[in-house]
Amino acid sequence: MPKVKSTPRQAFLAKTFHWLNIISVTLMITSGLEIYNANPVFGGRNGWDIPPLLLLGGWLAGGRHWHFAAMWLFALNLLWYGIYILVTSRWRHRFMSKRDLKALSLSTNPQRYNYAWHRLVYTAIIPVLLMAILSGLAMYKPAQFHWLSSLFGSWQVLRTVHFLSVPTLILFTIIHYSLALKVGSFRLIKSMFF
Amino acid sequence: MSLILPQRHLSRRQLLKLSGISSLGLLLNGCESTLFSETVGHLFEPLNQSLGQLLLSQQPVPEFPVSAIEPDKLIINTFDFTPNIDPVQFRLKIDGEVNHPLELSMADIRKLPLTSMVIRHICVEGWAAIVQWGGVRLRDLVALVKPKPNVRYVYFVSADGYYESWDLASALHPQTLMAYAKNGHPLTADNGAPIRVASPIKLGYKQSKWVTQIKLVSKLLPNQGYWEDQGYEWFGGL
Repeated sequence: MPKVKSTPRQAFLAKTFHWLNIISVTLMITSGLEIYNANPVFGGRNGWDIPPLLLLGGWLAGGRHWHFAAMWLFALNLLWYGIYILVTSRWRHRFMSKRDLKALSLSTNPQRYNYAWHRLVYTAIIPVLLMAILSGLAMYKPAQFHWLSSLFGSWQVLRTVHFLSVPTLILFTIIHYSLALKVGSFRLIKSMFF
Repeated sequence: MSLILPQRHLSRRQLLKLSGISSLGLLLNGCESTLFSETVGHLFEPLNQSLGQLLLSQQPVPEFPVSAIEPDKLIINTFDFTPNIDPVQFRLKIDGEVNHPLELSMADIRKLPLTSMVIRHICVEGWAAIVQWGGVRLRDLVALVKPKPNVRYVYFVSADGYYESWDLASALHPQTLMAYAKNGHPLTADNGAPIRVASPIKLGYKQSKWVTQIKLVSKLLPNQGYWEDQGYEWFGGL
């Protein structure tokens, strides 16, 4: 007999990644916005400042201290998770596949359809996280990673790409949460944390 | 060590900093947030500095074509005031733990081999500008004074009271210049005339303007640099 309301279970390492990712991304965004305010990406010194409630560090030097500390947690967490999903083949079973794309265009089952969307969205955030690291590295060490910085064209493009991680991640969090809610109700969300 | 200490006028940046801190005090955790950031900085600076030193090489950083120069993008940043220095009276003192301390006039400096480079000048605030700098390699000046083998750091003392210290490896990088020309013209007072530091491997605040003294030393002093002493990281490598 299939249980109707079984609680989904997540791998311990998947939960660990999820927790550390949320914590490190929050630190990166708030300290990053503190740095942003020293010279807004849009408009420079005449640009619009981010309100202090969303900032971390107190001033530019403090924001930089947090940003260049949390970057280790953020990047290394993503690194071990990448190795983990490769070694365990989770990347084949737990991320978007051709079957999801098929379901998106053909499925008449709304549960399957939502599930396909859910998998597509959380798969798509991985390249966004990687781009945040690459564009960040290109700005942090532009002399030593000159080849990487020059791929972005101009400094303004580089700053903009790096900054776009912020609205993208915030939007992702909202969509990811609501899709998870649709797919597995609050029990699914709880299972990813506890 | 006769480092000129900065006069404690309230600069625009300090004022902004102070107002930032005091307005944060309105928040419940405002003061803690600033306090923690100092601790976090102290905890991670050694690691981040090791990374910077590991990445530092004596290979030149690739340069930009002259057509890429962005004359309007270089913002003038000064912690206090802009000194007007008579280039004829001016002498650059190079001393410290060296065998042949020197005092050079601008005429002496201009006789040394000129290096020109088009590099990206990057400010800690986040903006950047592609600039052409012309001047003499700091490594050439260092060679002239014959430093003692225990020298590890270089201090720059400026006419406005600004002071900075660098690791020797970065100071000897082939693109670390004592510059007296910008974008093909003589340096203006705003940009640090008669002579300033220019380099693609350090953040802007490391690149002192109006340098009057270069001091080679074996140990870092408690005063490491104007912004460093306020809480900014010391290495500032790019």
